[in-house]
Amino acid sequence: MVIDARRCYGVQACTVACKAEYKVPLGENRSWVEEIEKGNYPATSRSFLPRLCNHCDEPACVPVCPTGATYKRAEDGIVVIDKNICIGCKYCVQACPYDMRFVNEDTGTADKCDFCIHRVSQGLDPACVEACPSRARIFGDLNDPESEVSKLVAENPVTVLRPEKGTEPNVYYIGADHTDEHDVVAETMYVDVKTHRRYEERR
Amino acid sequence: MEHELFWGMPVILYLFLAGMGAGSTVVGASMMLRGGGGPRGVHHEIARYGALLGPIPVIVGVLAIIFELGSWNVGHYFRFINLFLVMNLSPMSVGSWLLVAFIITSLMFAYSYLRFMPMPFGDRLKWRVALAWINIPLGIGVAIYTGVLLGAMPSRPFWNSPMLAFLFLISALSTGTALIIFARAFVTRGGLSEEKREEVHKSGYILASTDTEMIGFEILAVFLFLMFAYLTVGDVRYAVATILPGGELASMFWIGVVLIGLVIPGLLELYAVAPSLIYKRKYTVSRWTEMAIALAVIFGGFVLRYVVVTAGQITGPVGI
Repeated sequence: MVIDARRCYGVQACTVACKAEYKVPLGENRSWVEEIEKGNYPATSRSFLPRLCNHCDEPACVPVCPTGATYKRAEDGIVVIDKNICIGCKYCVQACPYDMRFVNEDTGTADKCDFCIHRVSQGLDPACVEACPSRARIFGDLNDPESEVSKLVAENPVTVLRPEKGTEPNVYYIGADHTDEHDVVAETMYVDVKTHRRYEERR
Repeated sequence: MEHELFWGMPVILYLFLAGMGAGSTVVGASMMLRGGGGPRGVHHEIARYGALLGPIPVIVGVLAIIFELGSWNVGHYFRFINLFLVMNLSPMSVGSWLLVAFIITSLMFAYSYLRFMPMPFGDRLKWRVALAWINIPLGIGVAIYTGVLLGAMPSRPFWNSPMLAFLFLISALSTGTALIIFARAFVTRGGLSEEKREEVHKSGYILASTDTEMIGFEILAVFLFLMFAYLTVGDVRYAVATILPGGELASMFWIGVVLIGLVIPGLLELYAVAPSLIYKRKYTVSRWTEMAIALAVIFGGFVLRYVVVTAGQITGPVGI
């Protein structure tokens, strides 16, 4: 997936569409948009960072799973959780450097974005992509050099989140604002990040 | 500030109890081998306490984490069996298998010390020696894996340190020794014969000097953990700030772990042990002092797990 952060204006349509698609418990979200406010008057800015599972090439969540309930599908590279095997030990929740996982109170298992596997396998776009009014989210096959996502990645300067963790994410951002509250602890610049999760701090 | 804690009190209790139980069995088994495996004597006394106490906290701790599982809480009570349908290199998988093996062998080891129970296969003393050799590596494995479990994740910079497993191992041995000291002092009554009292003091001396040594190593491990975290930049430095002065968990760490759990009992034990160690004087410490010291060490071990588990979860990677 490619996320063109320049186009995102924070309507949270993706968040709502995702919530409606999966009926996750109150307070939890599989995908959300973070709001970043920064700067001191008059040099201020506000930007948005849509977040979802990165479906990494080297997922940190998979090798820690003691039951093999979470794995990366060989055919399309989607990282999935088998709800019938997962025991809810929360190890993967701790291991994800992006805090994408949570424990679903209804099923008692780990839960996260699965690129809307039921829609994607029917040739449809994920719910968040469908709902986005500004086409900030573009879904496709990165292995196919002719696909729109491959062209976007090839033609634009792209970034991924926390590349230093060695997870090799598959969600690429164009024009993303990587400012974090911790970046400016020692300076006087104002930064506020709101995540729209149960706990609003970003870790 | 309210934080998102996925691993709460049950996991903290488990890490503490499993460490203490494994430590107690390991200390007991090593004492037995050190004493030659005889049926009586100072080392036998200590080994008996260690062997009988060891499995109890481990089993309680394991029950605590099973009740904490997400699947248990939605009614899939036996879903945790899935842990034993596969074997992979996840520290939790390795740890679960280790735990099962340790619980079985430590229970067998404890059984061999129940003199009123029949010993079906062969000689009791030979069994004890064999089980001690099995229990020492398994117990060390259980104690060390609790640290590896937390340390395996780059996403939790506070835990992601090789010192953590070492710290947990030393703390397990130290709290295990303290558990033996406490139980022994608690059970021992006054009005013993001169000979018996001599023996009690002798084993007390061995235990106290063992614990002093462990506390010394633990202080060193804490120092290295803090120092190497503080000397880096980025994630780890930011994470360790939670327990450095000014951090959210600083007072709990410095008062609960360092002062009450390490420095005070360490100094008291050194004060108790030094006359016998240096001047070969008789070791005479009242059982109340012994119990107080042991409780302080055990309390410190618990707070250590609390601080580490909490600090790891309230911090994360810096930057996005």
